[in-house]
Amino acid sequence: MNKKIILLLVILLWIILALAMIIPNQSILSRGRAVVLETVPVDPRDLLRGDYVVLRYKISSLDLSRIKSEKADYRRGEVIYVRLEPKGRFWEAAAVQSKKTADNVTYIKGRVRQSYNKQLRVVYGIESYFVPEGEGKELERSMLGSKSSVNVEVMVDSSGNALIKKVHLDKR
Amino acid sequence: MIFSLVFWLVVIYLIVRAFSSRRRRNYRWLQREVPLWEQKNIINPEQGNNILGLYKLKRIEAKGKMDMVRVLTLIGAIFIGVGVIFFVASNWQRIPAHTKTVLLMAVTIFTFYMGYFFSYEKKGFASLGKSLLFLASLFWGGTIALIAQIYHLPTSGNWLIMLIWAFPIVPIAVFFDNEYVHILASALFLIWNFLYTTHNNAANYYYPLIIFLVMLPTAKNLIISRRINISGLVIASLYCCFYKYEWLALLISAGLLAYYLIQKEEFVYLYASGLSFIFWTITFFTVRETLPNFFFLTPMAVILYLSYKNNVRENLVICLVGLLVWLNLSLSSFSRLHGDKFNIINFIVLQSLAGMAIYIAGIISRNRGYLFFEIYKVFGYLVTFVCLYLLSFRGMLDAGAGEIVNNAYFIGCLLLIAVMALLVIDETIKGHFKNKAAYLELAALFAALAGNLILLSNASVGIGTLAANAVLVVFAIINIFLGVELKASSVFTAGTGIFALFIITRYIDVGWRLKEKSLFFIVGGLVILSLGVFLEKQRRRVIERMRQNE
Repeated sequence: MNKKIILLLVILLWIILALAMIIPNQSILSRGRAVVLETVPVDPRDLLRGDYVVLRYKISSLDLSRIKSEKADYRRGEVIYVRLEPKGRFWEAAAVQSKKTADNVTYIKGRVRQSYNKQLRVVYGIESYFVPEGEGKELERSMLGSKSSVNVEVMVDSSGNALIKKVHLDKR
Repeated sequence: MIFSLVFWLVVIYLIVRAFSSRRRRNYRWLQREVPLWEQKNIINPEQGNNILGLYKLKRIEAKGKMDMVRVLTLIGAIFIGVGVIFFVASNWQRIPAHTKTVLLMAVTIFTFYMGYFFSYEKKGFASLGKSLLFLASLFWGGTIALIAQIYHLPTSGNWLIMLIWAFPIVPIAVFFDNEYVHILASALFLIWNFLYTTHNNAANYYYPLIIFLVMLPTAKNLIISRRINISGLVIASLYCCFYKYEWLALLISAGLLAYYLIQKEEFVYLYASGLSFIFWTITFFTVRETLPNFFFLTPMAVILYLSYKNNVRENLVICLVGLLVWLNLSLSSFSRLHGDKFNIINFIVLQSLAGMAIYIAGIISRNRGYLFFEIYKVFGYLVTFVCLYLLSFRGMLDAGAGEIVNNAYFIGCLLLIAVMALLVIDETIKGHFKNKAAYLELAALFAALAGNLILLSNASVGIGTLAANAVLVVFAIINIFLGVELKASSVFTAGTGIFALFIITRYIDVGWRLKEKSLFFIVGGLVILSLGVFLEKQRRRVIERMRQNE
């Protein structure tokens, strides 16, 4: 095959893949609805992308005996939609469903990582927050102290896909 | 089971390495010597070709001078690529995120184009072009890492980043004949498979398909790439043992065997296939537990046949290990079926007896003039020796003493003893045990059999330890005598080695209990030094005598 054509095809493939990574995520950030979630963080490091903070949210653990659920239990790996409702400053889980049912309600899409005795551990794809080198530990120290709390502003689109917009370090 | 797996992996590694490195050294020597003999008119080129053909060796191409430009441009590309990835990882905030992305993407495309330009448009800069293509592939990784960082895509999805990195650089490796990019893509696919399996807890069937259908066919002349991909497949097969993906392990094993049948010159496929089938049978056991895997015997028989047919003697070690693993797993299946408890002594005695059976197979092979008899003998001897050495520790026997005997293993041991007895009787009737060396071998076998029987009879810990130690001493003495008889310095040295190991181990056994550790080390050092001097002196004297007798 002509090498020039390969060159152009690879460049095209790179651009398409880069855009395929950018456009859906950018669309969530620009068109989604902002919700603020409470967190519990720790600080590791990724070889390619540097320092990041692992975020665990209140909605990462769901107790099905306390919130509405259309099923008694969910399988590991199952996709679920968690209905979010504002309670004061933060948004909290109000119900768990296998499918979205209403359009004017805010849902966040997650995947069940663990399911035991009506307790679900759920991931939403917003558990890593990348920070400039060295700031991860600083952020962690601030969070572990009693004087401040970390809250995350998350953008959620109409399909329930979520993306971190901003991390707030608030004084208590 | 993990103990058994680790034990056999270490044994395979040591034996294959010992055999292959010696053989490889000899082959390399021959490849260097043949052209020299031709130059000096000792042999003609046709004879040279015949000699090399006998060992299925190719002529070594005359090596050109080391291409400094090539090395320097490659190192430069690696430095710049790694630097950019570190820059991305530092998450520098002075430049806006999207500006960084556009800049890096533009630099990636520009580098790629320059790589193409210097490789094909501008004459005389091929090495630079090659390195720039490699650099563009590294930049592409940096670009997607940057995008993933900007949108805080979770680290649990790193497997996807590896795939998006590897997949689009494959055309560069293939169509631009770039071995560096091929190696990079192979390594990325390997990491992708690891991350995919661990993060998703799911069998990754795409990995072997990509490797078998794309990476291996395009790596025909690229040894490093081929080795990375074959290793990746064997590692993927190993994962299957822990994740219980029996069909995936079977697919990989069968694929590797098929590849060997297509490209018979590359023995690595046969080694990898043998190992992969072993991992498959382990996975089969972890999935079905009480069902012995008799299907395993078919591919092992094929691999054994191919090893003999194509003169791949190192692979015989893998086959022997495979059969031992299969025997153990089958007995474990029967044990589970009947609710027997695991008993460490029964387990080790069975390995020891299996080692003896393999040694006898070596004697029979030698007597009938079959190939590779020495592999059976060395392998069998090592297995039996290591097992008896382990059992010579009182602590080991303490661990298994008083426990219920595992019936399946016990019956397995009895069956092995019966088979060995029949084989030895048959060989004796046929008159193969006639000379002094054969009697010595027979004596060592009887000593090992007696030791194993005492250990199997659930005797007291004291008697068991004494029996195992006595067998080790007998092994050492017989090795020394056998070395003298056969005029084989390696056998003689092995005997003195066993003796030295025995003395040192027993000294540590007793000495470590001393409260005064300093005394232990001082006396120990003196004992080891004296023993070393004494054994070296004896060794030299006997070897000298052997030479004089010759």
